[in-house]
Amino acid sequence: MPNGIPAHARERLKGLRTAAHATGVFTSDFSVNEFLLVRKAGFEPIGLCMGTCVYHVGYQFGSWSKNQELEVLSKAMYHARELAMARMRAEAAAMGADGIVGVKLTIKRLEWDEHLLEFIAIGTGVVHGEGHKGFRAHDGGPFTSDLSGQDFWSLLHSGYRPVEMVMGSCVYHVAHRGVLSGMATVGRNVELENFTSAMYEAREIAVERMQAEAAAAQAEGVVGVDIHEGSHVWKPHVIEFFAIGTAVVPLDQKIAPEQIADPMLVLSVND
Amino acid sequence: MSGLPDDHELRVAEIQTALRAGQVPSATRTRLEAARAGRVPWVATLTPAELRAVRSHGLRPIAAITATCWMHYGWSWTEGHAQGWNAALARLKEEAKAAGANAVLDVKMRTIPLTVEHSMDFTLIGTAVRFEELPPSNDPVVATVPALEFVKLLEADVVATGIAIGAQYDFLSDWTGSTSQTFAGNTETSVLSQFWEHLRQRAHAELRRNAAGTGNGVLAHVNFGQLFKIESNGQPKRFLGRQIVVATTVDAPRPRKPANMPWGPPPWGESKARPAIPHEIGMVVDMCAGRTPLAGRPRHHQSYASNEREGAI
Repeated sequence: MPNGIPAHARERLKGLRTAAHATGVFTSDFSVNEFLLVRKAGFEPIGLCMGTCVYHVGYQFGSWSKNQELEVLSKAMYHARELAMARMRAEAAAMGADGIVGVKLTIKRLEWDEHLLEFIAIGTGVVHGEGHKGFRAHDGGPFTSDLSGQDFWSLLHSGYRPVEMVMGSCVYHVAHRGVLSGMATVGRNVELENFTSAMYEAREIAVERMQAEAAAAQAEGVVGVDIHEGSHVWKPHVIEFFAIGTAVVPLDQKIAPEQIADPMLVLSVND
Repeated sequence: MSGLPDDHELRVAEIQTALRAGQVPSATRTRLEAARAGRVPWVATLTPAELRAVRSHGLRPIAAITATCWMHYGWSWTEGHAQGWNAALARLKEEAKAAGANAVLDVKMRTIPLTVEHSMDFTLIGTAVRFEELPPSNDPVVATVPALEFVKLLEADVVATGIAIGAQYDFLSDWTGSTSQTFAGNTETSVLSQFWEHLRQRAHAELRRNAAGTGNGVLAHVNFGQLFKIESNGQPKRFLGRQIVVATTVDAPRPRKPANMPWGPPPWGESKARPAIPHEIGMVVDMCAGRTPLAGRPRHHQSYASNEREGAI
C-alpha cells in the first residue's frame, strides 16, 4: 500500500472499535469484488431485499396429439414470479433504495405437494452515494436488475443504466407422435418437424412477452438475456420456455461517459 | 500399535478443561507462542500469490489456527447453528490472541460430512497475521474472505471483521385447512407465503443485530431455507420452517448523508476522499482458450451447500 494502512482500518486492527455506527448495519449478498465495484460505480448497498411466494399451480392437460400453449401453467409461472419480485421491490422501496442489483430468482418444489412451488427473489438494494435520483425506474421506484455488481459497473461504463428486470414465460405441450408416423420413419433419419416447430413457437412467445415488458418500461434494449427451458412438475412433453433479462436505457447526456474505453486483451498463461 | 502419544489421555482431559474455561489448550498455546516469538517457522494457509499480496501490504503470517465446536441439537437444530459458530469463533479469537495477531485471514467454515445423530461440527480454519507497524490486538478481527480480498478491502479502508448469523425457525399449524388446495386453478398459498416471509424477516433482523456487534455491514450471504410438512394422525397439518443466514461482517466508513443535489456531481466520480478501489479499473478480454484462471475458483466455505437452486429458474 502506498501510504500505509488507511486511518479507519488502522484503528480497527489495533483492536479499537467505534462504539456504535450512526448509519446502522447494511446487509447484502455481495461478494467482496461486487461490493467494491458497486461502490466504485458510486452506489452504496443499504439492505438485502427478498420476496417469497408459495404458489399452487393449477391443472391443465394438453391434447395428446397437439402442439399447444398451456395457458394455465404459463400464467401461474408468470404470476408467481411477479408476486415474488413485486414483494422484493416493495421492500427496496420501503428502505428508500434507488435500485436492486444482482437479483436471483429461484424456484423450489415443496416435497409434499407436487402442485406447490415456492418462488424466491433476492437482491441487494442500493442507493446512489450522492443522492442522485436519475437512476430510478420509469415509474419513480427502484430499478431492478439481475446483473452482478461487476456487470453493473460495466453497464454504466458502456453508457447505459438498468431499468427493470423483464421476463416472459410460455409453458408448452409438444404433441406426441402418432403410431403411423412412427412406423413411416423406421430406418430413416428425418427431422421431426412437429417438434422443431413447437420449440420455435414456444420460444417466440416467451421472447415476445419479455420484449413487450421492455417496451412498457420505455427501455432501449435488453441485456443479459437467457432463455431457459425447464420442466418443473409436469409430464415429459410439457416444457416451460422462460426468457429473462435486464431492460436498459442510455444514460442522460450529462452523466454519460465521454468515451467508452476499449477493453485490453490479455493472455493468461498460468495454469 | 497405537500411534498416539503416551500422555494421550492427559492431553484430551487438558483440552476439555481448557476449552470449558474459554482458554487455548496448552499444547496449542505453546506452539502459538513459539510462532509468535519466531522460534518455530510460520505456517500459512495462503497460496504463494496470496503471500505476496499480504507481504506487500505490511502483513506477516504467524500460524495457521483452527477452532471446532461439535454441537448436539438437544434443543433446536436451527439455533444450534448460531451457537456452534459463535462458540467456534470465540475459540478462534483466543488462538489468534495467543499468537499475537491483529487479524485472522482466509477463514473457512468447514463441516465434516458425517451424519452423527442430531449433531454437527462447526470448524473454522484460518491464518493468523500480524501487521508489522501495529501492536498485537486484544480483539483480533476474523476475516472469512481469502487474503487477496482482505487486502483489496483494506485498500478501500474497509476491514472484514467476523461472521454474523441469523438462525430462526417456526411452526405453522393449519387449523382451517387453508393450505389444502382442492381448487384446481392457479392460486397463491398465502398462508405459507406469509409464514415464510415473516420467518426470514426475523432471521434477517437477527443477522443485523448480530452483525452490529462486529461491524456495520455484511457481505456474501449464505441463505439456507427449509420448509417441512409434519404429518401426525388426527392433528391439523403442521409445517416447520427453518431459515439460516450466514454472512461476513465488514467495518466500512459510510458516506456522509447524501447531499441534497438533484443533479449533482457525475455519478461514478466516486467520493475523491475515499476511493472504493485506489486503482484504475479496466476491462480485459482473456485470450486463453478453455478454463481461465481469471474466472472462477472453488467455493471458499463448504458448510452450507446452498439449497437455493433447484431446477431452472
